[in-house]
Amino acid sequence: MGNFPILTAVTFLPLAGAVLIMLVRAMTGSQESDVASGNKALTAGLIFSVATFLASLVMLASFDIGAPGYQLVEEVSWFANVQYKLGVDGLSLLLILLTTLLTPLSLIASFGSVKERLTEYTIAFLVLETFMIGVFCALDMVLFYVFFEAGLIPMFIIIGVWGGADRIYASYKFFLYTLLGSLFMLAAVVFMYLQAGTSDIAQLETFAFAPEVQTWLWLAFFASFAVKLPMWPVHTWLPDAHVQAPTAGSVILAGILLKMGGYGFLRFSLPMFPDASELFQPFMFVLSVVAIVYASLVAFRQTDMKKLIAYSSVAHMGFVTLGIFSFTEVGVQGAIFQMISHGLISGALFLIVGVVYDRMHTREIAAYGGLVHRMPVYAAMFMLFSMANVGLPGTSGFVGEILTMTGAFQASTWAAAGAALGVIFSAVYMLTLYRRTVFGQITNPDLEGIKDVDLKEIITLAPLIIGTILLGIAPNIVFNITRESSLRALQMITGG
Amino acid sequence: MLPDFLLLFIVLAPGLAALVAGLFQKYVTDNGAMIITTGTVGLAGILSVIQLFMFAFGGHAPDAVLTAAPADGGHGGGPVHAVHHVITLFTWIDVGQFQADWAIRVDALSIVMMAVITGVSGLVHLYSWGYMSEDPHRARFFSYLSLFTFMMLMLVTADNFIQLFFGWEGVGLASYLLIGFWYHNKAPNDAAIKAFVTNRVGDFGLALGIMAVFVVFGSVEFEPVLNAIKENASVTPLALAEAAPVRELVIPFLAYDVPALELIGVLLFIGAMGKSAQFFLHVWLPDAMEGPTPVSALIHAATMVTAGVYLVCLMSPIYEYAPVAAGMVTLIGAVTALYAATVGLAQNDIKRVIAYSTCSQLGYMFFAAGIGAYQAAMFHLFTHAFFKALLFLGAGSVIHGMHHEQDMRRMGGVAKFMPYTYAAMMIGTIAIIGLGLPHTQLGFAGFFSKDAILETAFAAGENGVTFGQLAFWFGILAALLTSFYSWRLIYMTFHGPREDSIPPEVHEVDSHADDHLAQDEHGHQHDHHEDPHESPLVMLVPLGLLSLGAIFAGLIFYGSFVGHHQADFWAGAIYTTGDNHLLEEKYNVPEWVFWAPLMVTITGFLIATFTYLFNRGFGRRIAESGGPLHSLFANKWYFDEIYNATFVRGTHWLGGFLWKTGDKRIIDGLGPDGITSLVQRSSKRLSAMHTGYLYHYAFVIIGAALVFGAVIFWRVGGAG
Repeated sequence: MGNFPILTAVTFLPLAGAVLIMLVRAMTGSQESDVASGNKALTAGLIFSVATFLASLVMLASFDIGAPGYQLVEEVSWFANVQYKLGVDGLSLLLILLTTLLTPLSLIASFGSVKERLTEYTIAFLVLETFMIGVFCALDMVLFYVFFEAGLIPMFIIIGVWGGADRIYASYKFFLYTLLGSLFMLAAVVFMYLQAGTSDIAQLETFAFAPEVQTWLWLAFFASFAVKLPMWPVHTWLPDAHVQAPTAGSVILAGILLKMGGYGFLRFSLPMFPDASELFQPFMFVLSVVAIVYASLVAFRQTDMKKLIAYSSVAHMGFVTLGIFSFTEVGVQGAIFQMISHGLISGALFLIVGVVYDRMHTREIAAYGGLVHRMPVYAAMFMLFSMANVGLPGTSGFVGEILTMTGAFQASTWAAAGAALGVIFSAVYMLTLYRRTVFGQITNPDLEGIKDVDLKEIITLAPLIIGTILLGIAPNIVFNITRESSLRALQMITGG
Repeated sequence: MLPDFLLLFIVLAPGLAALVAGLFQKYVTDNGAMIITTGTVGLAGILSVIQLFMFAFGGHAPDAVLTAAPADGGHGGGPVHAVHHVITLFTWIDVGQFQADWAIRVDALSIVMMAVITGVSGLVHLYSWGYMSEDPHRARFFSYLSLFTFMMLMLVTADNFIQLFFGWEGVGLASYLLIGFWYHNKAPNDAAIKAFVTNRVGDFGLALGIMAVFVVFGSVEFEPVLNAIKENASVTPLALAEAAPVRELVIPFLAYDVPALELIGVLLFIGAMGKSAQFFLHVWLPDAMEGPTPVSALIHAATMVTAGVYLVCLMSPIYEYAPVAAGMVTLIGAVTALYAATVGLAQNDIKRVIAYSTCSQLGYMFFAAGIGAYQAAMFHLFTHAFFKALLFLGAGSVIHGMHHEQDMRRMGGVAKFMPYTYAAMMIGTIAIIGLGLPHTQLGFAGFFSKDAILETAFAAGENGVTFGQLAFWFGILAALLTSFYSWRLIYMTFHGPREDSIPPEVHEVDSHADDHLAQDEHGHQHDHHEDPHESPLVMLVPLGLLSLGAIFAGLIFYGSFVGHHQADFWAGAIYTTGDNHLLEEKYNVPEWVFWAPLMVTITGFLIATFTYLFNRGFGRRIAESGGPLHSLFANKWYFDEIYNATFVRGTHWLGGFLWKTGDKRIIDGLGPDGITSLVQRSSKRLSAMHTGYLYHYAFVIIGAALVFGAVIFWRVGGAG
């Protein structure tokens, strides 16, 4: 590839698409309510996001698996000592791939499902994609912060404009929480820059902050990442955001935005503040286990399908923090794997809910029942993802859970035992949901004529089915890529 | 052992068949799916049974892996490695020391299990051709059956704990799908979820046990773990404690310091309790009878529920050095054997009687393993598979012939309509009660294995093994009850006049209304006055073959499993310490111990005969008089009620509380909503002050000036 800036290309290709769509729209004049032009815009957006996916495959091909440190680095001076610096390691590589995979899938899912302002909708998604990719490959703290915060805006708009009835409340809650966390992070970023004289992430990883300073910096970053992940007790924005977001928004939210929290802990908290991380390990374990058990119990009582899956996400992200803060290779590898796996499974589950929502326009569990009689293919796919969500071995859900718990067991048997309780509850809420919606007799007459999944829905779900099973049977594909990143994240801790 | 390609075929082909039948049912049609799955599993069954015979009688020259497997286990702490053969397929998980492959590992234990699984499964596949002939979803049914077979084979051929767990949860999935096969009804759905969740409670223990294994041994593969125990190797538990010889190692768990092997033994056994429906975690098994009867025979009698016994036997090195954990296995097993037998006395649903009987027999296997007679446990597992599958399929034949009637009170006199089924059920009953003449080779399969268990239990009791004596006496008592309820089943079902006069309201199992609906959908005309009919040949052939097993399996394999050739047969797959001579000592127990099982069996038979055959109605009168003991038994000791009141209600309440109070009132109330309303309230108050009247402002200004003035005056004055 020579010196071709592949990361810049992957990052900004979607944004270029968005700009192009805007220009075309400006030139063709005002046809806002025109569905045909909206569909054209969506198609164009899809083409750009698929192109981004292909570009990210090129990135994967140019990546040297197992080589130490960051690769494909691009560096340009920006202002002061701040660099425009991009680069990837195994961890960011996979999260970028997840982003470039889920974005086109959510755009496909939007065909026919979103009817208003399709052009703006497409633009919002493309802009969001650029920011998400940017977060994962930024190697400069300031650049990272810019992407991290900028990503808030398109998501805020997606929920606020294309969301459900209570979208304003949900989007403000989302904004309020994430912004609050970000302010602390901004202060920490400025402070670190002043102290270390650089905002280069690779250099900061080896910069030794004084232990008492680390504590405050760790807390500031924690505020931001804990909200994003989200951890208990700052999780309540997530169910509301999910319920109100359009299907594609939920897919991206659960699939990728939540992962920024886990990514942040691995990229910043562990390597830069190792002493503080060790100090806060018990604290993180408590929050993780509470998240797992608490969210699973709450999920059990939900009457709204999306809310249930949102709470299930909170529980599953608890395994991520549990694994990261076990400070073991097994735990960290498991946590990274859990992030990828959860991206596929929760994305798929939101698509699954979207399928029946598009037909029935309700997410109430009680409105369904007996779907298997009319939608056998749907029922089979829903079963697969339900089982993946409860962590059945053979699906990707299992690998992340068992590894994070095993890692935690080495650090605290209490944490492992608590998390294992969550594995029981996940079966309770997921099987209950499945049984109430899919099994039983059809009692709601509106369901009599409901159609099984169509080609568009199969196309969106098929890659996720393949991914869930493939990673369940051969997770080593992931582990080989992320091994080096995991060990590096732990270097400061196990070494110091 | 068979060549690799045949082993691969046996394990993988049922999985492929399940995929084809499940995913392509549109193209292969119901009949295609039935042929593909039955053919594959049947062939695998034939191969596995040949393999078992070859292994037991063809001799297997000790190859390089086998160092020694002395008859008396006399090597004690010395390395006694199992004869085994591993085909590694590919790496599954490779993270640090956490290494797990997809592999097919075959040793004596797996050879026995493979024969049982594929043999019974093949017959159940065949039987289902008749039993499920009117069901519109046959392709799905056969796909699930084959999926189950595949998962079960993966379980018994794993070479590491993770693949074992894959099979373990995989059979749980298949069980869930098959219990809930008639998913349009409430009862099967409830039962399916109950089974899955109860098993998950067990898996909670199993998963923690596997984590403990990893932390202690730094590996999740069987060979290094089991060999370390056999050699008492020094291990360094990751981050938990100092290095120590594994048998003396103590690790912290929760608030306690516990011996590592005891901890692992107990945790793994909790998993076994769930899967094998042992006391406390048994509640799902009777409800699982909502599934089609062939499923009950295959999964909930012959194979899946024995996975726990298999696990304990496979982990024999752990339990040999974990007396407390082994004591727990014995106690739970003995209690289950007796408990389930008491409940079996008072059930009226033919399948539930057999389900509790299964539960009870599993208890026998567990206490045998707990006292250290793993071989006897495996032997009973083996013979039990034949006669219990036979009883279930026989019961299925009756249910089929009676147009889906399951209540024995509405049966009676069926023998003359269904002579072959009757014969099969008689053979199954004689086998399960363990009829046979001590000191001779005369006896049915159950005689050999059950007596081996009771004799070793007595010997263990004499040796002072924890709970050994209790296990023996509970076992004897349970044998009495087994004989009684088994004959009661025969008499109520097959003898006497036909009793179809009881209206359906009397049914104690509320699910039946649903069942009838289901079967009506399947095209059954629900008419109780229609005469029962004998089942078709396709159902009778499996009954015949299983009958042969129920008669001869014990006689043929006694020498290999628990007799003089046992050490050669097991070839190290089961490990016993140098002090464990139970299998020899069982020949030297007092004479009355040999005869006691026969005596209680005859006693049970006589009581049943007098109350249910000669004085028909006597039993019913006792039931109707409703003494406290009968209520206790009939209501399964109120386990469901207690669990509902505590765990189910508790979870429900807690979930609601955390949601409404935790999330909404506290977190949102103090967090975003609280802040929002605070801002709104204060801004409202502020705007309320802006009244627009000049004198209000003036009043505030003057008032404020006065207050400030007063403060300044006071402070200045104070200074001056």
